[in-house]
Amino acid sequence: MVKVVDKSLKDRELWVTASPSTLLQLAFMLAPLCLLLMITFQVTQFFQVTWVWNLDTWTDVFTTGYYWSILLVTLKMAGLCVLLCFIISFPIAYGLATRFKAFENHIKVLMIFAFMTDIVLKTYGWVIVFDDSGVINWILRGTGIVGPDWINGLVFSQFATMVGMIYNLIAFMIFTIYLSVLNIDRDLIEASYDCGAGKFRTFWEVTLPLCRPGIWAGCLLVFVLSMGVYLEEKLMGGGNEPMMGHLIHQTFGTRVNWPLGSALTVVLMVVALVVLLIFIRIYRFDKYTATR
Amino acid sequence: MAAEKILQIENVRKLFHKTVAVDDVSVEVEAGEFIALVGPSGCGKTTLLKMIGGFEVPTAGRILINGKDMTGVRAAQRPTSMVFQKLALFPHKTVEQNIGYPLKLRKTPADEIKKLVAEMLELMHLKPEYLKRYPRQLSGGEQQRVALARSLISSPTILLLDEPLSALDFKLKKNLQAELKRLHRSLGVTFVHVTHDLEEAMILADRICVMRDGNILQLGKPADIYYRPADDFVASFIGETNIFNISVEDVGADAIRYSGQGIEDSDPSIERAKAASDIRTGTAEMMVRPELVRILRSGESADCQARVKVDEVFIKGSSLQYRASMIDGGARLVFEMLGTPILPVDVGQEVTLGWNKSDVFVFQHEPGETPSPKEPGAD
Repeated sequence: MVKVVDKSLKDRELWVTASPSTLLQLAFMLAPLCLLLMITFQVTQFFQVTWVWNLDTWTDVFTTGYYWSILLVTLKMAGLCVLLCFIISFPIAYGLATRFKAFENHIKVLMIFAFMTDIVLKTYGWVIVFDDSGVINWILRGTGIVGPDWINGLVFSQFATMVGMIYNLIAFMIFTIYLSVLNIDRDLIEASYDCGAGKFRTFWEVTLPLCRPGIWAGCLLVFVLSMGVYLEEKLMGGGNEPMMGHLIHQTFGTRVNWPLGSALTVVLMVVALVVLLIFIRIYRFDKYTATR
Repeated sequence: MAAEKILQIENVRKLFHKTVAVDDVSVEVEAGEFIALVGPSGCGKTTLLKMIGGFEVPTAGRILINGKDMTGVRAAQRPTSMVFQKLALFPHKTVEQNIGYPLKLRKTPADEIKKLVAEMLELMHLKPEYLKRYPRQLSGGEQQRVALARSLISSPTILLLDEPLSALDFKLKKNLQAELKRLHRSLGVTFVHVTHDLEEAMILADRICVMRDGNILQLGKPADIYYRPADDFVASFIGETNIFNISVEDVGADAIRYSGQGIEDSDPSIERAKAASDIRTGTAEMMVRPELVRILRSGESADCQARVKVDEVFIKGSSLQYRASMIDGGARLVFEMLGTPILPVDVGQEVTLGWNKSDVFVFQHEPGETPSPKEPGAD
């Protein structure tokens, strides 16, 4: 049953029905965020947050170039991750949706499996592959391509971090693009052929524009998630090139500086939000996606 | 002027896995003709259309357009254009981009595309302000016109229509049928129209091709399909009709003698011309259309007569349809007359019906074919 709800704030029924979820959001989402923001204006004394309103933490944040260089690294890594995820997953998603229709259900199950496996396990799996005593070196040494003391230098590098990020986040991209390709009416493709277009032209004029919403959604998801990456960088990157997630974790955990940790979190969130808003802006003005 | 054959379908078969969709079909279409492929769903009409358009490859046989063999020619290269059942307008392109798309692909200069699109818009009675709109911002009928415009702008040799009117409401459908007829007249393009609605086919087409189970049952002019059907499936595919089982005793040069009609018949014989050309002795069926059956007043008489009791009346507006059963025997009859504000006969009344020998038609089944007609749309 579809119920028509008057969307104005005067609708009393709306207030009543919306209140549980609103309260939940207020209590568990907005309140902690406010608390987080408030803590940034306090100080730490003897590893304890002391309630003294001041701007010391923020002056520290804005005057320390180190934090901003880490933020830049994070942004770069996230952007690169989105790009690489897209490049890798588009052919996969497109192929799955068009060429391998017969295995559709198997593929879906496999994708869900990828979501179900624990991220720590998956990431450690890569360490075993990349490590000097790992699978890659074992194969290379075993086949005699390299000497027994050769070090591949793969593990604990930014490259390894990127591999881990792509590996853990690509499922989101594949899934959203896969669904958008699947939603394209076969008749539209045939209509394009009928109008005289070849395969590549049809792909460019019809298929690609019609799966843009899926591409946007996938990019957004991967970007937001990769901004907060911590595990991949710590386990596979070895902390050599720290990213924001790692820095925040360290500030809270090792340095026990809650005001600074909170401030860095706020900075990360604001930056992510700004990028998100830019994304949405482009999406809205994209005339292809606007028609959907 | 000898009409040229624009489309030749030669012994085309199409198998999907092991099911036969189109079974050894041959049709020839003349330039400028409006041909309708009619049949219940699953009869192979859409498959045949898709093979003409190049979206399906025939398993056997070949299709020639303008005398050229189309085997191996892709849809993009064929001089055909298709109007899809669900229209298949590009949702991300404006009306202008949709209509101009075939021209853009042919590398027509932009200003010429603009001019041709505007002309096409006028031909379709679409307002110029629609150019910048997206398909979803148009009504169903307007979308139909845009789809037609996109198909016609590349001046195709053959326009293929895959039931594009089936989803529209009655009034809109009537409007667009008139529009299609007008376009066909003014453009001189050959139309191949697929529909499950024989009435629509009769209104529009020059010739109708009735299909069932991948076979062509009859190919002929609308009047032939209606008054001289090949068998009882074709006869009952459009509206109701009266069919009597008879037994043909003798096929002469001028007349046919029969028996067993089960109704009053002064002289059980009809002209040779009132029967299918391949009529043989044996069981056959005699058909008379409901509107050719009339109520006899006392003293009036007709070639064939039946005393019936009226069971039901349907007031269809322009016509009245009666269902009645014969008093002796119980065979059911349908008859129709022009609508009147006062019913000439009421339910329960007994009347005498009569019709002329000149209005009947006798046909036979193929030997071995089961005489039970399939419900339209049953498969």
